[in-house]
Amino acid sequence: MKNKKVLFLNALLVIAVMFAFTATANAGGKVYKLGMSLAITGPTSDAGNPYAKGTEDYFKFVNETKMLGDDTIDCTIRDDQYKTDITKRNFEEYLDEGIVMYLNYSTGSTLGLKRDFEEEKIAVLPASYHAGNLDDSNYIFLPVASYSEQLVALSEYVVKNHKGEGKAKVAFFIHPSAFGRGPVDDAKKAVAAGLNMEIVEVVEHGKDLDNSAMLKRLMSKDVQYVLSHTVQSPVATMLKDSSRLGLTAGSYGEAGKLTFLGVHYTGGNDLIALAGDACKGYVWTCSFNLTSEKNDGTTKQLALAKKYGRDDKAANSHNYAAGIMVAQVATEAIKRAKAAGLEINKENLYTTLNGMNGKNGYSPYTTIGPVTYSKTDRAGVDMLQIYSVQDGAFKKVGQPIQSEYMTKIK
Amino acid sequence: MSYFFQIVVSGVVVGSIYALAALGLVLVYKSSRVANFAHGQIIAAGAFITYFLTVTVGMPIFFAFLASMIITFFLAMSVERIFLRRLIGEPIISVIMVTIGLGSIIDGLIYLTPFGTENYSFPTFLPQAPLTLGGVSISWTQLVGVIITFLLIGGFSWFFKKSTVGISMRAVSDDQFGAMSVGISVPRVFGLAWATAGLSAAAAGCIIGNITGLNFDTLHSFGIIVFPVVILGGLDSILGAVVAGIIMGLIQQFASGYLDGNWGLNGTGDVMPYIILLIILLFKPHGLFGVHEIERV
Repeated sequence: MKNKKVLFLNALLVIAVMFAFTATANAGGKVYKLGMSLAITGPTSDAGNPYAKGTEDYFKFVNETKMLGDDTIDCTIRDDQYKTDITKRNFEEYLDEGIVMYLNYSTGSTLGLKRDFEEEKIAVLPASYHAGNLDDSNYIFLPVASYSEQLVALSEYVVKNHKGEGKAKVAFFIHPSAFGRGPVDDAKKAVAAGLNMEIVEVVEHGKDLDNSAMLKRLMSKDVQYVLSHTVQSPVATMLKDSSRLGLTAGSYGEAGKLTFLGVHYTGGNDLIALAGDACKGYVWTCSFNLTSEKNDGTTKQLALAKKYGRDDKAANSHNYAAGIMVAQVATEAIKRAKAAGLEINKENLYTTLNGMNGKNGYSPYTTIGPVTYSKTDRAGVDMLQIYSVQDGAFKKVGQPIQSEYMTKIK
Repeated sequence: MSYFFQIVVSGVVVGSIYALAALGLVLVYKSSRVANFAHGQIIAAGAFITYFLTVTVGMPIFFAFLASMIITFFLAMSVERIFLRRLIGEPIISVIMVTIGLGSIIDGLIYLTPFGTENYSFPTFLPQAPLTLGGVSISWTQLVGVIITFLLIGGFSWFFKKSTVGISMRAVSDDQFGAMSVGISVPRVFGLAWATAGLSAAAAGCIIGNITGLNFDTLHSFGIIVFPVVILGGLDSILGAVVAGIIMGLIQQFASGYLDGNWGLNGTGDVMPYIILLIILLFKPHGLFGVHEIERV
């Protein structure tokens, strides 16, 4: 009997302490719940891992520096190993926890969960820039220009800077998936709309140990430019093979040789690490500032990485910058909704994001241009910077560009 | 004509590397009749150990390569000792399930290290200029890869044909009870089979890693990519792995060189080996060099 009384009193005490603790924790401000699911391990985790670190660090920074006053952001980040079924489970659990915005990752899972996002009416920022994410969808906000826009802009760059007579002859080297195939049709539409180039071949790569046959075949068809839309590893192998065969152009557009170019996930420091000297002259589009081109934004990015003890590899990764960027956009939306006196919920954040345009555009320090969204434009940063590998680092080439043909083919 | 010969050379190079990667699967199957689904993870582990010893520890790459083979030799032997030995006599499907589980465990362990998610590249240690003859080119990395492959495969063939231990392993493969009756230690043979498979996997990992760069996802996928090679060659034939590897490599390169980009075809380099595999298996269900066992009851 005495034991029961002691047990009862102990239980009461525990409940009282927990209640007091919760009350104290909430007394300072509100907690806004966000969720993120991405490939921290598994396929493409070379991009997902630094991306997750960027998001985690920025939200920590927001809370520590009281960017939202006494309010804080609680963003749970879970690994989905690039598996859509796990992503779906994570998303559903986040919904149960009452998230107000969701951060997703892969093309497959973003396309797969598109209807769920519509049903839940929740704003989503994915790491996939697949244009198809926006079809029949109102709640997905691409952080930067779509892959289609990037490939078409890169094609326009090729046409404008083409060396030699006649049409520029190009081949696309793409990932064998929805992610890879996505922008090819838009590039074909741009050609049909008057872009003066010939798409000689679309190559879907495998896990190739030797690309000699493919490269020599392209040469036999007078291909001059190879535009890649895949991940770094196959591009690195192709660049090494091309270099070995003596097929790589010594300067941009050199006649009788191949000039290699690529969009977002084909480039970055990992490509240089994998391909070494063979990636010299590789041309790449990206909407993010790179630490190889120092400015205020990259200084802040490196300071953030240092503050939270990230190694140099993560700190200098454009994927780390991309992870920070989505956290910046989410934070800015919350900040603006708060300033407007709105309750922080799914509906108001969605409305706030849609109002992020014109003079209300948002310029995070990680990107080369402002983030603008509206009900008809859900690709954030429209500008693209051309970078090229020089002396072992990606360096800026000219001013940021924007695709002209995307508006014509929409 | 140089186009044709370039494709032949590339096919032989790729095929040889497939053969080396497939060798570990053959070695395990030859002695224990088990398909090892953790082979890709051991390939990746071997490559990462070499990288770690070279870049972090500062060992010359040649010694790191040898050390990595020795480490994976003992690692694979330990895996067999701890997880698989107790399954001797159990249904084969149980052992296969254990290898699938092992693959997941090794995945998890590698993901705990930076190697699981980051890309690395071996330091340059071979001349960068390729060897070119009559318009046909081969890189030093590929050439050294082919030489190591044939040295190892030759060594293993000799080992199985001439050495006492090798003959014991073949005996166990043929008839475990018969082998035991003449005093051969079956558990020891199983351990050795796993260990030699680990050794060859490390060699394959280093060669593949030197070509593609060190990416865990890419490296461990070769454990599955080479399954058609093993099936085509005959699951228990080293010679079969070599011949099938080269056939697969050649088919892949010829399909890529002559079919892709024509008649609306694309990606045939990845598909054609499987089509050829199916056709050959229709006529030779045990593979090109596989043993067709006839049991009298």
